[in-house]
Amino acid sequence: MELQSPSRALLEADNLTKRYEDGQLALDHVNFAVAAGEIYAMLGGNGAGKTTTINLFLNFIEPTEGEARVDGIVTHRDPLAAKKKLAYVSENVMLYPNFTALQNLDFFARLGGRTDYSKDAYRDVLLRVGLQEEAHGRRLKGFSKGMRQKCGIAIAILKDAPAILLDEPTSGLDPKAAYEFIGLLDSLRGEGKAILMSTHDIFRARDVANTIGIMNQGKLVMQRSKQDLAGEDLEKVYVEYMAGYMDRETETV
Amino acid sequence: MFRLIVEKELRETLGTTKFAVTFAVCAVLILLAFYVGARNYQVGRAEYEAARAENLKQMEGLTDWGRVDHRIFMPPQPLAALVSGVANDIGRTTEVETRGELRSENSRFNEDPMFAVFRFLDLEFLFGVVLSLFAILFAYDAINGEKERGTLRLSFANSIPRDRYILGKLVGAFLALAIPLLIPILIGCVLLPILGVPMDNGAWLRLGLVVLAGYLYLGVFLALSVFISAMTERSATSFLMLLVVWIVAVLIVPRASVLVAGRAVDVPSIDRINFDKSKFETQLWQEDRDKMMDWQEENSREGESGREFFERFQQYTQELGEERNQRISEYTARLNEERRNRESVQQRVALGIARISPTAVFTLATTNLAGTSLSLKHQYQAESATYQKIYSDFIKEKTGRTNSGMVIRLGGEEEEELDPIDPYELPDFSFAGPQTADVTAAALPDLGLLVLFNVVFFAGAFVSFLKYDVR
Ligand SMILES: Nc1ncnc2c1ncn2[C@@H]1O[C@H](COP(=O)(O)OP(=O)(O)OP(=O)(O)O)[C@@H](O)[C@H]1O
Ligand SMILES: [Mg+2]
Repeated sequence: MELQSPSRALLEADNLTKRYEDGQLALDHVNFAVAAGEIYAMLGGNGAGKTTTINLFLNFIEPTEGEARVDGIVTHRDPLAAKKKLAYVSENVMLYPNFTALQNLDFFARLGGRTDYSKDAYRDVLLRVGLQEEAHGRRLKGFSKGMRQKCGIAIAILKDAPAILLDEPTSGLDPKAAYEFIGLLDSLRGEGKAILMSTHDIFRARDVANTIGIMNQGKLVMQRSKQDLAGEDLEKVYVEYMAGYMDRETETV
Repeated sequence: MFRLIVEKELRETLGTTKFAVTFAVCAVLILLAFYVGARNYQVGRAEYEAARAENLKQMEGLTDWGRVDHRIFMPPQPLAALVSGVANDIGRTTEVETRGELRSENSRFNEDPMFAVFRFLDLEFLFGVVLSLFAILFAYDAINGEKERGTLRLSFANSIPRDRYILGKLVGAFLALAIPLLIPILIGCVLLPILGVPMDNGAWLRLGLVVLAGYLYLGVFLALSVFISAMTERSATSFLMLLVVWIVAVLIVPRASVLVAGRAVDVPSIDRINFDKSKFETQLWQEDRDKMMDWQEENSREGESGREFFERFQQYTQELGEERNQRISEYTARLNEERRNRESVQQRVALGIARISPTAVFTLATTNLAGTSLSLKHQYQAESATYQKIYSDFIKEKTGRTNSGMVIRLGGEEEEELDPIDPYELPDFSFAGPQTADVTAAALPDLGLLVLFNVVFFAGAFVSFLKYDVR
């Protein structure tokens, strides 16, 4: 029997394929794995299939073929068990507008099964994601996109799940907040979380990710480790891969 | 989990201005309904007592029971204060004759047609129309609103069973409306006895069941709203759909059912029956007149004084008259029974159709409980008919004759001095109104139907939500 190594795969995409009802092939036999203590950054243009991948992990949609696994649990077989091990920050965080930041945090933390937090714990997390104290007791109605995003990240942290799914988490964050967010990701990785993140921010991805995958039209066209990419210009690689893939596409046509 | 969602729903609802405004409006309307209802009862009761006293007073000084104009009156029903039903449409005064049909007159609406135009603001109207609308207002976006706001996907990124979630939404919405409403209702209940509405245990039980019916009805519209919001993607769509359903259920179905039943089942009109009746009367009268003529020819005896002859003749006409009246009343009884039978068929058809609307079911349940359903009229008619017999026997005993035959007073006789009658000897008529056990039994099927509506709509909501796209 194999010993569970500290870097066991917590998030796995196994031939993950999704064809939407309208016939659109959004994901085409994608394979990857994210181990505990690892950050995986998904790059790719608009409509490449990043959000689709994350939705499959959350069982918001069912795969046409293949499966997504969270800590070995096939998400579409046992979604409730899989979601216990997942925290999630959506592309555009939306919370209850009539609740304050603290009330929103409290509700979603409880929904995530955490009933043991004090008000101070909520304040600490909000400060950790960079939401100034003055805003903690304010209703979400008046929050900017970036402020909502910070609350969303705080909610994901509070759930304290082994795996975290982040869909463009830095969109809407100001440069300072985005910078601090990278530090936050680093410390979450240090706690042993497996993090799957979609992003358009090549440079930050390069700074923080252990592995970078580039998606194009539903296919994972490149997957390389940080070490592997050392010394290379990721932007150039990205453009080349996109273009190369395009070329190949046009050749076959 | 379930409690958390209920709590969140409560907190989210109770904190809004929408709720504050709605609650204020409801509270005022409910208190007003209790107050106005109780005042109406007081006025009605006072009028009833006064009319009864006046009835006896106007008989004072009369010397002949045969000349008495006797009226009986329907007392106001205590719970009609809250559920007026048909109470205002039924005649409250009945002139009692020793024979013939009794007619009730002077309904409330007859006296104050103004009220007939706009009806009263009672508890039944408040729940049936206003609260059902508020239920829709609060729950039309229960599911699709969360989706539009983006909170549904974040919620379902957690390990939540969908059945727990949707039940929590429904229960939360229900409690958010039901608990605050209880406050004005309880205050109203305290007001009732203070404002002079006699409430015995039975009346309290019935009032409790009326409120229960109201809450069940509120639940129906909440469950329906959650159902439709779990079937649609956009809250604007569900709102529109619910508005249409509301109009159909509250305004159209109950009226249409009466129209349809009226077309489907033909009931002869009262005028038609009166026409047939008077035709029959004329026919009988002609026959009797011929008989009287024959009698006169055959029965004139030699040597009999005019007076003796006349007495025998009067004897004969009285017999004829009694027989004639007997036949007429049998005939009208048959016509009336036929009419009643058809009427009840028509009623059954109308109510059957109407019951596809929860509003109609609610109205039927509450009017039954309050004792102001159609059976109030039937019961009153039955009791006054029974009284008529007692009264007629009483008069017969007092006068020695029914006043059916031709009473011919012979002039020239000396007017003998008669003692005045004592109006208090009249047998008393007091209409107790529908009894608690009966009305509760009558209301049970409709209460059951309301429960069924709740279950069906919730099941619909549940099934729709199982396959709802939470993204
Ligand atoms: N519900 C849907 N029905 C049909 N097609 C869909 C649906 N959702 C997404 N798609 C299609 O699937 C493909 C992948 O979409 P997806 O949202 O995963 O892209 P993405 O990589 O997240 O893009 P972006 O960077 O713009 O967020 C797109 O072509 C999109 O049009
Ligand atoms: Mg996306």
